[in-house]
Amino acid sequence: MPNLTINGQSFFADAPPDTPLLWVIREDLRLTGTKFGCGIGVCGACTVHINGQAVRSCSVTVGEAEGALITTIEGLHPSNAHPVQQAWVEHQVPQCGYCQSGQIMQAAALLSANPAPSDQQIVESMNGNLCRCATYPRIVGAVKRASEIMKEGSKHA
Amino acid sequence: MPNANQPGMTRRDFLVRSAATAAGTFMSIGLPSLVESGNAQAAIGSGMPGFTPSIWFTITPDGKTTMHIVKAEMGQHIGTGLAQIIAEELEVKWEDVRLDTPLESVENFAIYGLAYTVNSGSITTEFDRLSRAGAAGRMALIEAGAKVLGAKPADCRAENSRVIDKSGKSIGYGEILQKVTIDQKFSYPDDFKAIKIKPFGSYKIIGKSIPAVDIPSKTNGQAKYGIDVFLPNMLYGALVIPRTRYGSKITSVDDSEARKIPGFVKAVIVDNTLGKCTGWVVALAESFPAAMKATKALKVEVDPGPYGRLSLNDIFEEFSEKIEKTDEGAAWVLEGDVDKGLAGADKVLEMEYSSDMVCHATMEPLNATVQFVDGAWHVYVGTQSTSFARMTLSAYLSKVLNQKPEDIKIFVHEYVLGGGFGGKQDYDEILAAAYCAKESGRPVKLIQTRESTFATSFPRTPTFHKLKAGLKDGKLVAMNHDICCGWMGPRFFVGKKYGTDWLQLDSWDAKKQDIDQWSIGGSDHWYYVPNHRVRAWDSDRTTWAVQASALRTVSNSYNMFVVESFMDEVAHALKRDPLEFRLSMLNGKGGNRGIPNSGYAPGTPSDYYMDRLWISLPWPNENSWPQYESATVGGALRLANCLQTAAKKAGYGTKKLPPNSAMGIAVSSAEERQSPTWVAGIAEVTVDPKTGTYRINRLTIATDPGTVINPVNAKAQVMGAALWGASQVMSERLTYKNGAIEQSNFHEYKPIRLADVPTIDVELIQSGRHPSGLGEPSSTVVAPAVANAIYNAVGVRVRHMPITPDAILEGLKSKA
Repeated sequence: MPNLTINGQSFFADAPPDTPLLWVIREDLRLTGTKFGCGIGVCGACTVHINGQAVRSCSVTVGEAEGALITTIEGLHPSNAHPVQQAWVEHQVPQCGYCQSGQIMQAAALLSANPAPSDQQIVESMNGNLCRCATYPRIVGAVKRASEIMKEGSKHA
Repeated sequence: MPNANQPGMTRRDFLVRSAATAAGTFMSIGLPSLVESGNAQAAIGSGMPGFTPSIWFTITPDGKTTMHIVKAEMGQHIGTGLAQIIAEELEVKWEDVRLDTPLESVENFAIYGLAYTVNSGSITTEFDRLSRAGAAGRMALIEAGAKVLGAKPADCRAENSRVIDKSGKSIGYGEILQKVTIDQKFSYPDDFKAIKIKPFGSYKIIGKSIPAVDIPSKTNGQAKYGIDVFLPNMLYGALVIPRTRYGSKITSVDDSEARKIPGFVKAVIVDNTLGKCTGWVVALAESFPAAMKATKALKVEVDPGPYGRLSLNDIFEEFSEKIEKTDEGAAWVLEGDVDKGLAGADKVLEMEYSSDMVCHATMEPLNATVQFVDGAWHVYVGTQSTSFARMTLSAYLSKVLNQKPEDIKIFVHEYVLGGGFGGKQDYDEILAAAYCAKESGRPVKLIQTRESTFATSFPRTPTFHKLKAGLKDGKLVAMNHDICCGWMGPRFFVGKKYGTDWLQLDSWDAKKQDIDQWSIGGSDHWYYVPNHRVRAWDSDRTTWAVQASALRTVSNSYNMFVVESFMDEVAHALKRDPLEFRLSMLNGKGGNRGIPNSGYAPGTPSDYYMDRLWISLPWPNENSWPQYESATVGGALRLANCLQTAAKKAGYGTKKLPPNSAMGIAVSSAEERQSPTWVAGIAEVTVDPKTGTYRINRLTIATDPGTVINPVNAKAQVMGAALWGASQVMSERLTYKNGAIEQSNFHEYKPIRLADVPTIDVELIQSGRHPSGLGEPSSTVVAPAVANAIYNAVGVRVRHMPITPDAILEGLKSKA
C-alpha cells in the first residue's frame, strides 16, 4: 500500500500502485477540490503540487507519488487566503469554477518559482490549463495581482 | 421535454404572510397552492403548520432574507443577479441576503415552477416579477413596522432591512417579524400588477458590481459539483464507449476478463426505453478507476443500428440535395416578393455556406448519482433543468418498472454545474445511473470519462445554406436564405406531432408547416430588406443520428456567421463600406424584421414565448402575468447604436494596421427575435499568407442589454461569450464517421487556450430598457467579424465555419 503525504498528513492509500493519484485524492480522501477533466493530462483541472511543482494528478500514479509532498487546493493556505486565492476573488475570476482549482494551483506554482512573471511567462505557464468559460483575461489579471500581493506581503514581513 | 404540462394557475390571492412555527417566525411571499389537484400544502406544510411556502424569498426573525433560486448556477452567477433584483425593491441590506436552491419534486414544482435555465433568459423573464415580489414584501413590512413604531405607514420608508418613520425612529425587519403577525393579501393579478417598481436610474443595488456569492467557494475547492457527491455504499459506473452515437443495440456482453479486476461488480446493459442511452453498457465497480479498467476489459457485441455506416459527407450530400427541392421547404420569413425582387435586380449574388458540428465539452464531464431509498428515487446532479430531469426520469422509470408515473417518487438535488452551455439539458446519465441502481440495489454514481463524454455528446447540427441577394441601384433589394440542417425540436418531443406548439412555429407560406425556431432563428435579422425570405428544410435523419442539440446561442451561432458574412459580401459587391451599408439598413423601417413581433394574439405560441417556456413560475391559465416591456423595444436603431459605438471604440476606418491585417464587423440580435440583446463586434485580425494561420489581435464588443444588473459580472459574461465565439471560428470541429463521433479528448477537440486570447474591449450600453440576457449573445458576432476581417486582410472569403488555415491557403492559391 503506497504511503502518501497530502496537505501535511500521511496515510496509506488503499489502491493498487498504478491508480492515478487524482482518484485517490478525490475518492479516498474526499478532497474534491481537485477535479477530473480529461484523464490524459491535457486540461489541467486536476493540477496539484508535488514537491512544489505543478503536476497533473490524473497522469501520476500513487506508486510514483509515494514519499513526495503533495498539496491540493484545500491545503494551499490554512485559511484559503493564499495571494493567488485573494487575487482570484478580487478579480472575480471564476465563472463555472470547475477548472479554477487547477488554474490556482498552476498560478501558485508559477509565482513561487517566478514572483514577477512577464505576460509571456504567464501564457507559457498557464496555457496548459483549459477554461471552457474562457475566464482567461481575468486569470492573467489575477496572476499579476497575486504577484503584487506577494510583493506587498514580503515588504510588510 | 418542454411539452410537459406546467401547472395551470387561475386567479387567486397573493400572500405576504408570517407564521409562527416550531422553528420560529417566518415571513414568506408567494402564490400559495398553485396546483388544484396537487398535495403541495400537505407535503410541504407538514411540521410547519400554517406556513405558506414561499416562491421568491423568506425572511426569518434573525433579519436574514433567503432568496430561493431555481435557476441553475453554471458560471453566470445567476443567484447573485436575481437576489440583487429582489433586494433592490425589498430594501434589504445585501449583507442580510442568503441564497438557496429548492429541491425539485412534484410538490415543489407546483410552488417554485419550472426549473429550466437556458437561452440567456433568466434575467429577462424574472426581472419584472421579482421586482414586484420584492416591492410587495417591502410594503407589507412597512405596514407592520409602522404599527410597532406607532406611525402611519404612509409616513414610513424602508432602507437597509429597517422600517424608518418620519422622526427617524426605526425597527429592523427581523424585529418586526418577532412582534407582529403579517398576513397581507394582494389580489392577484390586479394588485400585483398595480405594484409600482423603481424606474431605471434610481437603483441602489441593481447596477452595482456586488461580488458574486458563489465565487469564494470556487477558489478554495469547497464548491460542490455533481461529480463531488458521495453516498454511503455507493458504486461507481463507467460507460463503455458506445459503437455509434445513437441507435446501436447491445447483443451480448462477455465480462470474463472484467471479473479479474479487483472491485469490479457487474456490467449492466442499460434499458434503452424512450430511445435514450442506446447501446450503453455500464461497468459498475467499487472505485472509479476499477470501473474504467473494466470498461476496457468487457467484450461487447453490438448491432450498430440504422446509422452505423453514416458519415458527415453523407449528411452534407443529403443537405445539398434536399435544399434543391424548393417545394419542400417552409418559409420562416416572408416579406415582400423575393422572386420578383430577384428577377428585377441588376445583379444577383449567389453563395453557399456551411458549418461543422461542435459540442459543449463542459469542463465537468457529465455525471449523475442516483439512490433509491425509502421508496423514493434521489438524483444528485448539476443540470440545467431539475424539472425536466425529474419528468424524464419519471417517464423512463414508469416504463422500466411498469408503474404509473404518479406512483414513482423522485427528488432531484441540484449541484453547481461545471459548465452548461446547453449541454446539460439531456438526462441520459441520470436514467442510466437510476437503471444501474435498480440493477445493483445500491446507489450508483455514473461518471462519464472525457472519451465517453465526447462519444455521447449532443452536438450542434451541421448546416448548409444557400443565399441569394438581388442588387439594384446600389442597394440590397431582395434576399433569399435557404437553410437545411437537423432540427433539435423533435429530439425534445417538441412540435405539432408531439402535441405541443412551443418553439415550433407555423411557416408563413400557405402550407403552415412546423418550423423549429431553435434551428432556424437568427436568420430573421433586423436589416430592412424590402423583399426577404428564409426557407427551412429539416433533415430528421441528422437530428437523430448525431443527436442534434442546443449549444450556446443555439442557431444564432451559425446563422449569424452566414448572414453577417453574406452581408459583407453584398456590401463589397455594391462597392459600399460594410459599416455604412449596415447602418443604412438598420433604419427601424418595416418593423426591421421578418415576423411582426406584436402580431400574435395573447396566448398564441410565439407571444411571450420566452416567458412561457422559461418562466420560473407556473404560467397562469389566463395569461395574466403583467406584460413587461419587450426587449425588442427600440428595434434596429439600438443595434445601429451598438455598431456605431463599437466602430468608434475600435478605431474602425481610422486606425492604422500592419500588413495582412484588417478589421471586420458584425452585428447580432441573439438570443431570439422576441428576446434580443443588441450586440456589435469588431475583430482585428492578422493573417500569415504563407501558412494561412491567423491571429485575432483584438475584439471590440458593444452591447445594449437595456439594464445591467451587475457590471463586473456582465463584462465577464460578454468576454467569455466573445471568446467562445473566437474558439468556434478558430479551432472547434466535431466530425462524424460510420455513426460515431471521431474526437475523443482535448488533444483532438481544441477549445481556445490562453495563448490565442486577444485583447477584448467591452462597452456595456445601458439604454435603461428592460434587461435582456448576456450569457450568450456576444459570442455570435465574433465568427462573422473574423471572417470579414480575413477577407479585408487578404481578400479570401471563407464560407465555412470553422475557418481553417487550409481554407485560407486554398483561397489565396485560387486568387493567385
